[in-house]
Amino acid sequence: MKKASIFAPFKGWKYLFKKPVTVPMDDIFKHPRESQDNYRGFHVNDWDKCIGCGTCEDVCPTGAISMVERKELPDVDGSKPERPAVDYGRCCFCALCVDICASGSLSMTKEYLYNSPNPEDFIYMPTDQDITGREHKAGYEKTESSDLLDLVRKPMEHVDANERKQSFIEIVRGFSKEQAKAEAARCVECGICEKTCPAHMNIPEYIRAIWEDDLEAGLNWLYQTNPLPSVCGRICTHMCETACALSNRGEAIAIRWLKRYIVDNMPDDEYEKVVMAQVSAKGEGKVAIVGAGSAGLSAAYYLGTLGYEVDVFERMPLVGGPMRYGAPKYRLPDDVTTHDIAFIEKLGVKIHTNTEVGRDVKFADLRKKYDAVFIATGYPHTRGLTIPGIGHENVKMAMEFLAASTDYETGRGEMPGIEDDVVVVGSGNVAFDVARTLVRFQIEKYGKSSVKMLALENEQQIPADKEEVEEGGEEGIVLHLGYGPKHIVTDKKGKLTGIEAAKCIRLFDENNRFAPQLDEEAIICVNGKQVYLAIGQTSDLAFLPEDLKDQVKIERGKIVVNKDNQVRGVPGLFAGGDIIRGMDIINGVADGHAAAVGIDHYLRTKMK
Amino acid sequence: MKQVKLFLGPQHPGMHGNASIHMYVEGDIIKKSYLLPGMLHRGFEKTMENRTWMNNIGIIPRICVPEPDPNEMVFANNAETLANIEVPERAHWIRMLILELARLAAHLMAFGGCGGPTGLYTAMYWAQADRDGILTLFEEITGQRIYHMYIVIGGVRKDLPKGIEKKILDYVDDLERRLPDYEDLVLNNPTIIARTKDQIMLPAEVVWELGVTGIGMRSATGKAYDIRKVAPYARYDKVEFDVPTATYSDALTRIRFKWLEMHQIIRIIRQVLELMPGGKVREKALDGSALRWQVPKGQVYTAVEASRGEYGYYTVSDGGIMPYRVAVRGASFPQGLLGVEKYLPGHRIDDAALWFDTMGICSPEIDR
Amino acid sequence: MNKHIESVTEAVKAKFDVLNTEIVRDTQAAVDLKPGDVHAALAFLKAQGFRQLSMLTCVDWLEDKEFQLVYLLFDWDKGVRLQMRARLDRDNPKFTTVTNIYPGAQYYERDVHEFFGVEFEGNPMSYKQLFLENWDDIPPMRKDFNSRAYSDKKFPVREYKKDFTKAGDGK
Repeated sequence: MKKASIFAPFKGWKYLFKKPVTVPMDDIFKHPRESQDNYRGFHVNDWDKCIGCGTCEDVCPTGAISMVERKELPDVDGSKPERPAVDYGRCCFCALCVDICASGSLSMTKEYLYNSPNPEDFIYMPTDQDITGREHKAGYEKTESSDLLDLVRKPMEHVDANERKQSFIEIVRGFSKEQAKAEAARCVECGICEKTCPAHMNIPEYIRAIWEDDLEAGLNWLYQTNPLPSVCGRICTHMCETACALSNRGEAIAIRWLKRYIVDNMPDDEYEKVVMAQVSAKGEGKVAIVGAGSAGLSAAYYLGTLGYEVDVFERMPLVGGPMRYGAPKYRLPDDVTTHDIAFIEKLGVKIHTNTEVGRDVKFADLRKKYDAVFIATGYPHTRGLTIPGIGHENVKMAMEFLAASTDYETGRGEMPGIEDDVVVVGSGNVAFDVARTLVRFQIEKYGKSSVKMLALENEQQIPADKEEVEEGGEEGIVLHLGYGPKHIVTDKKGKLTGIEAAKCIRLFDENNRFAPQLDEEAIICVNGKQVYLAIGQTSDLAFLPEDLKDQVKIERGKIVVNKDNQVRGVPGLFAGGDIIRGMDIINGVADGHAAAVGIDHYLRTKMK
Repeated sequence: MKQVKLFLGPQHPGMHGNASIHMYVEGDIIKKSYLLPGMLHRGFEKTMENRTWMNNIGIIPRICVPEPDPNEMVFANNAETLANIEVPERAHWIRMLILELARLAAHLMAFGGCGGPTGLYTAMYWAQADRDGILTLFEEITGQRIYHMYIVIGGVRKDLPKGIEKKILDYVDDLERRLPDYEDLVLNNPTIIARTKDQIMLPAEVVWELGVTGIGMRSATGKAYDIRKVAPYARYDKVEFDVPTATYSDALTRIRFKWLEMHQIIRIIRQVLELMPGGKVREKALDGSALRWQVPKGQVYTAVEASRGEYGYYTVSDGGIMPYRVAVRGASFPQGLLGVEKYLPGHRIDDAALWFDTMGICSPEIDR
Repeated sequence: MNKHIESVTEAVKAKFDVLNTEIVRDTQAAVDLKPGDVHAALAFLKAQGFRQLSMLTCVDWLEDKEFQLVYLLFDWDKGVRLQMRARLDRDNPKFTTVTNIYPGAQYYERDVHEFFGVEFEGNPMSYKQLFLENWDDIPPMRKDFNSRAYSDKKFPVREYKKDFTKAGDGK
C-alpha cells in the first residue's frame, strides 16, 4: 500500500466542478428525459394501412395482443374489419409485432411514461395516438433486415419462350416438394384470402397441410368447396393472391401453384378415396342441369354427394365448357380437365353430351320430369362489333375459333384455316388466349408467326393478367394499344388486308361507364389477312319457352336470382355461373355449390 | 457458544439478487450455511419449450438481469449451428461490440457493487452513473436499455445507427481517463484493503473441485482460461487483448481483476469499431415467416465468456417450430450453491455479502 | 476443426462401447454411452484433461420413454468440449452420483432430481427441495406436465371489462 500523501483528500475537489448525473425528482415529470431515436415505446397503428390480418397477435411472445372486431370498419376484400388491442400489463416491448406486420402499419413511439390508477386503462387499442394521448415522436421502425416475413416468392419454373411457342406444351412446370414446403412456410394464416375467394376455399388450411406434408388432408380441404381443383390450380384468376396479406409489401403466396401441387402429387387411388368420402346421406329427388361448365359441374358434384339423381345436358361433344373449349392447352392440358370431370362422373352423375336443350330436349319437358332445374349455360357466343365490313368471311369469332382449336388438338378435327398475318381485336384474357394459340398454329403451319393485337385500352387499362401480357410479348405478339376499330379494309379483289382504327382519347366517362371517345384524325391501319374478334362474350337464352321468358327477369343479358341462386319469381328454377354474373370459373364453382345447397333445401321442404 | 440460525435474507443491501443464505452462526463466525435459491425461479426452461424460435427472444434476456446479452448470443448461436446458417461478417463484429459493452456494464456494476457490503457507497454511485452512459448507448443501438432483444438467429435485428461510433469512442475515452480515479477510490482505499486483502481466499484446488470459471479461475490457477482465447467465437481471434492472471486469489485480487479487465474491454471496443466491415446484418436463411421457422434436429451446447465466467445454453431440437429443451448453465451456479455450502463457513457474518460480491454470484441465473 | 477433437473421440471409442458419436461443431463432439459406462468414462476423461464439468442436465424423451442425462465436459487447455450422453429408463430413473469424480456435480444432480425425478444414489441431499417451495405436483420439467393447465388450476384468470367494439377511439 502506498504511503498516504498529504494531498490525498484534495483529489476529491475536482469533482466539485463536474456536472451531476442524477436527475432531480421534479424533472422526471416536468422535463422527462427524451429517449433515443430507436426506442421501443408504446404502439401506434395506422388504421388506413392496417388490414386486420392478426399476424401481430400470432407472434407476440406474451400473448399481449388480441384482435377485436370493429363494426364501423368496412368489410371489403383484402382486409378484415378487426384491429389489434395491446395489453400493456403483458407487453414486453420486444417489437416483434412491428417487425412482422404485413402492411407496415404498426410502429412504436418514443413515449414510455404512462400512469393511471385504474387497471382497465392499461389495455388499449392503438390508433394514431398511443396510450398516453400526448404528442409523440416516432421511435422504433422496421427495416429490411429486421423484417420477419419472407416477402419473396419461390420462383416457378416456366418453359423458355422460344421452346414453348413451337407447341402446346404446358408452360408452367410445377413445384417440387421442397419448393412447395418452402412456399407454404411463408403463409401467416390470416384468412384474408379465404374471405376474398368467391368459393371461400379453406386456403390457410390447405397451405398448412402442404407445410405439414399431409396431402390427404389438403385434398380433403379442397373438395369441401371446389370439385375442380386441378383446373383451378392452373387457370384460376387467383383473386386470393391479389388480396394476400403479403402482397402489401412483397409478393403474394403462390396459392394457385400450391393448390396444383396437392392435386398433382396425390396418387389416383388415394385421390378417389378422398373424393368418395364426401358422399353423405341419400337425398330424394331428380335434378336437371343445363350446361356442363364450371357451375353446372360443381352443382352436379355437390348434389351428387348429397345423394340426388343428377342429369346434366351439354350441347358440345365434350364436357367442360370454357375449361375444355376456351382455355388454351398450354395453360390447361386436356387430360387435366378430363381428370377432374372423371371423378365427378364416378359419383353417379349422368352427363348427356351432344344434347342441346331447346333443340334435342324441350325445356318445358325438363321442368315436368325433374324436381328442380339449374341453368348454367354460360357465355358461349362472341360479342360482335358493328363496323363496316364486319361480315367478311375472314373475320373470325374468338369462341368458335377456340372451340375449333380444341377439336384440332384433341384429334377430332382439322386445324382451323389461318393466314400467316393476323390481327386480334381485344386485350382481355380471351384475346390473349386467341393470339397465343394463333402464334403456335402459325409456327406449326408457316414456320414463323405474325400476330398483332389491337385494343381500346392503354397499357394501364389492359384487363388481361400481367403474366399473359408478359408471356405474350415474349412469344412475339405486337400490341397496338389505345386504338378503337373503325372499319375493315379490303383490297380491290375483296380480300381482307387489314383493319383501320382511331386513337382512343378517353375510355370511361365521368360516371366511370364504358364510353370510348375516338379521335377521328389520328388513324392507323393494322395489316392482316384475318381479323379475330375477342371483345367479350354473350349468353344464349333461346331455349327458354315463351311463358317463362315473361317470368324470368333478365338484366343486360344476365338472369336475376335471389340469394340461394333461385331464379326470382320462379320456384324450382335455379341459375348460376357466367349467366348471372359474368366473371370466371371460380365464381361458377361457388355458384354451383350455393345452388346445390339451395336446391337441397328447396327439395327437402317441398318433399315434406 | 450456542448456534444462532440466521437468514441473510433476500432483502439486504449487500446481497446480489434475491436469494437468501440460511446460516448457523456462533458468535461472529458462520458455522454452516446453505443457499436458499428459488425466489427468482420463473420457470424459464419450461416456458421456452412453448414458444417458437423467434418468440423466445421476448423471454431469453430476462434470465440474467445484469448482463442479458450473452443469453441472446448463445441461443442464436445454438440454432445457427443446428441449421447451418452462416452469419454475415458485419453481424459478428456488431455482436462482439454488444457483448463487450454488456461486459463493461456488468463489470462496472460488480466493481462498484463491492461498495454495498463495505459501506463505500461512493463507488456504487460512480459505477451506476457510468453504467447509465452505457445503457444510453444500448438504447440508441438496440431500442431498449436493459433487455435488448437484439441478437437473433441469423445475425442482429438492425444495423448500427449513424454516428454511434463517435459516441461510443467518446464514452470509452472518458471512462478510460477516469479509471485511475476508480483505482484510487476502491483499490487504494485502506478500508477496502483491510477488508479484502488476504481475505476470502480461493485456492486453485477449490476452483477445480467446484468448477468455478471466470475471474475466480484465472486469478487462482494463473492460466489464461478465458473462452474468448481458448475456443473463440464471433471474431475474437481477430482482435488483440490480454487476459489478466494471478496465482494468489484473494478478494482484493479479484476486485482488481475487474478493474484490469475494463481496460482490456475498452481496448477490444476500439479495435472492433476500427475493423468492422460493411454489409448486411442478418442472414434470412430459415424458410418462411417467423411463425413457421423450423430448426433441424440436433443437440448442441454453446458457451460464451460473460463477466462472471462461462455462460452457456444447451439446446435440443426435434425439428419442430419450438425448441424441445433448453438448459441454462449460469456462470455462478457452482460457486453459488456448492461454494456457499462448503467454503463460506469459517468466514465472519459481515464477510458473507462480500464473499458473494467477489465470487461473482448473480442469483437470477442460478434460479432461472 | 480443432485437431484434438478427433483424437479424443477415437480414444473414447477405443476404450468403451460407444453407441454413437457425432461432431457437432469444430470444437465440440458428442458421445452416446450406455449408463453403466458413464462412471468409467468420466474418470477416464478427467484424467485426459477434461477437468471441468460445465453442467449436468437431463432431456425428457417422452415417446421413447427415456430420460437422457447429458454431461458437458470442457478441457481448458485444449479448448475442446465433449457432450457425454446416456439414456435411462423413464419409468424407473435411477442412477449413481458422480460427485466422487466431479464434486461440483452435487447441486446439478439435485437440480435434475427436483425437476425430472431422477434419483441419484449416493447424493443424500438430493431429496430435499431446492428451487421449488412446497411443490405438490409431478416434477415440472417432464413433458407430460402442462404448465398452462397447472397455472389455470391454481391462479384465477384476470378478465378485462373493456368493450372495444363500439366506434370511437380506442380508450
